[in-house]
Amino acid sequence: MTAPFDQQLAWYIAGPIMGLCVVACRALFNGRLGVTGGFSEVVGKLRRRNVRFDWRGWFLIGIAVSGTLFVLLAGDQSFSGYGWLTETFHGVGRIAIPFLLLGAGVLVGYGAKTAGGCTSGNGLTGTSLLSPASLVSTATFFATAIAVSFLIEAVI
Amino acid sequence: MGPRSAGAVVGLVFGFVLCWSGMIDPNVIREALLFENAYLFLFFGSAVLVATVGVELLRHWRARALLTGAPVSWTRERAGRRHVVGSALFGLGWGVANACPGPIAAQIGQGILWAIPLLAGVVIGVLLFQRGGAVETEPPIDAAAKPTPSAVPVTQSG
Repeated sequence: MTAPFDQQLAWYIAGPIMGLCVVACRALFNGRLGVTGGFSEVVGKLRRRNVRFDWRGWFLIGIAVSGTLFVLLAGDQSFSGYGWLTETFHGVGRIAIPFLLLGAGVLVGYGAKTAGGCTSGNGLTGTSLLSPASLVSTATFFATAIAVSFLIEAVI
Repeated sequence: MGPRSAGAVVGLVFGFVLCWSGMIDPNVIREALLFENAYLFLFFGSAVLVATVGVELLRHWRARALLTGAPVSWTRERAGRRHVVGSALFGLGWGVANACPGPIAAQIGQGILWAIPLLAGVVIGVLLFQRGGAVETEPPIDAAAKPTPSAVPVTQSG
């Protein structure tokens, strides 16, 4: 990757920009920033063969386009392989990876919709509004993901 | 500029920072969840801090949304069973894949092939939820949501 994108952006720059994104949605159109809301909008509209997405859909499209833009500017993808999955499964065993990712994706999508938000909608936006539902959600998903990570670490 | 183009611009900034901060790399997320690296928590904490101060100021100033003129307001929702159950399922998926919806979208944009089954899973998960006939849990505009018995409206007096 080419400079400056080969260096991880400092947390004290990256974090506050994310916070300002939450504030911008509120200040511009009183929106509740959340990526799962974007998925919900795009999937819901496409089911009805409609592509007139509201801002949530365009927010999601913006994120996807930013990935392409980053590759063009940095000259390479952000990472290769896929974390612990490609480190653990080799050869024929790799066939397990897409199934694990598919299952994890279903849990992420269904779970976030049930809870009314993911790491952005509940974690960033809801938490900053001091919403009890989002505080409980954020504590729950962090605790669960940490427990799952230690469990995987113990098994592999 | 309307909310749609503004949403796209915020998405571009949001996603670009996700890429540049390494938050779309499953190894970085895994190291954070194993407490081997503090970056995620500092990043997340500073984001929440800035957002909290920012939205509190907007409320204090009784601001109106710049593009729509609507009053800036929101509801604080009471915690219920669905938040615990939904977030536990979400956390399980996040712990296995080490990617959440924002990073998944950015990975797709980067052309990461492993993200395709993950994206398919998220779409299936959202479809399952919508087919269950459940109400939208994340409306586009908070103020448009009718206050339900489980929602505590925040007054503009603050």
